Amino acid sequence: MCRECGCADRVPFGVKVLSVFAPKLLQSAARESAGPATVEIHTPLLAKNDDAAERNRAVFRDRKMLVLNLISSPGSGKTELLSKTMDGFDEKAAVLVGDLETDNDARRIHRPGVPVAQITTGTACHLDAEMIARGMEGLDLDGVRVLFIENVGNLVCPAEFDLGEKIRVVLLSVTEGEDKPLKYPPIFKSADLVLLTKTDVAGALGFDRQAALSNIARVAPQAEVIELSARSGEGLDAWYGFLRKQLVGNPEAAPA
Amino acid sequence: MHEVGIMESAMSLVEQHAAGRERSRVSRVVLRVGVLAGVDLYALRFAFDVVSAGTLAEGADFEVEEVPVTAYCLGCEREFSGVDGDFVFACPDCGDFSGEVRRGRELELSRIELS
Repeated sequence: MCRECGCADRVPFGVKVLSVFAPKLLQSAARESAGPATVEIHTPLLAKNDDAAERNRAVFRDRKMLVLNLISSPGSGKTELLSKTMDGFDEKAAVLVGDLETDNDARRIHRPGVPVAQITTGTACHLDAEMIARGMEGLDLDGVRVLFIENVGNLVCPAEFDLGEKIRVVLLSVTEGEDKPLKYPPIFKSADLVLLTKTDVAGALGFDRQAALSNIARVAPQAEVIELSARSGEGLDAWYGFLRKQLVGNPEAAPA
Repeated sequence: MHEVGIMESAMSLVEQHAAGRERSRVSRVVLRVGVLAGVDLYALRFAFDVVSAGTLAEGADFEVEEVPVTAYCLGCEREFSGVDGDFVFACPDCGDFSGEVRRGRELELSRIELS
C-alpha cells in the first residue's frame, strides 16, 4: 500500500490536490434535500489526473504523435527494450523515463538524436498525467512520431493513472512466473499489448510458456501478445511491426 | 494502491461541499468503489480515519458501495456479471473470455450526509 510507498506525497511537483477542478464543482448538481441532508456528489476521485490526461491527449493529437505507456514490475526489461528500440526502430522516437531516483535509465536509453528525459518521482510509485506534461516541456519533440513513456516499475499503482497514452503496454518477463496476470489482474485488464520478455532465458528457467499465454488470454483477452528478447533480438521485428501498424492505423499519428 | 492520496482527494471534496452550509457537520461519507479500481477497502477505511481527523467529517460513518464487474461479450453482444472474486470473465453463454469491462472500475465520492 502507498501508506508505505508514499504515493500521496507528490513531492517533486507540489501539486495541491483538487485545485484544478474546484470551479467545476461549484457548478455541480449538488442537491440538499429537506429531510436528511444528503448531498449527492458523484465526482471521480482521480478526476484531476483524468483532466490532465485529456490535455495530454490533445497535445499528442496536435503533434500527430503515437504515445505508448510501458508498465511492468521493476526489472522486467523496459529499459533494455527501449534501448534496443532506439537502435532498431526506424521512426523518430522520444522517451520519458520515470523512476524514483537516478537518471541511469535515461542515460542507458540516450542516443544521438533521441530526445530522452528522466522524471524522478521522489517517493511516488507511478507517473501521473501532470508529470508527463512537465516532462514533455524538456523534450524537443519536433518530428517525433512515437513517444515512449517508461513508467515507474510497479504493477499496481500505474493501472489507474491515465497518462493520455494511446497504447498501454504491459511487460511480463519470463523470470517473474507464469501466474503474474492472475496475481495483478487490474493492470493486465487495462493492457492493449502484453510483451512477454526475456524469452532467451525461458529454457533455463523451465518457464511454462503455454501456461503464461493461457493466463494472459484469460485475464486480458483484449490484448495483443508479443514474445521477445531485447538481448537476443528475437521477436523485435514483431514489436516494430506492431508500432508501424499503430502509426499507419492511427490517423492521430499519421505524418503531417 | 494509494489509498491515503485518494482519501485526501475525497476529504477535500467533502469539505468543499459541506463548508458554509447551515448544517455542515458531516455524519456520513459514501464512496462508490469498483471491484477493479485497485483499491483496498481495509486500507481505505484506515485512511479515512487518519485523513478525516480534524475535518468536518471527523467521526462520520464511512461507507463504501462496491460496484461489481459487468463485462461485455463481443460475440454474443450481451453484458454479463457475476464474475467477482475471479478476474477471468467468461461469457456464460459462449464461454469466451471478455476483456471489455463496462462497470467495475468506478472510484468516486458518491454522497455525503450532513447533520
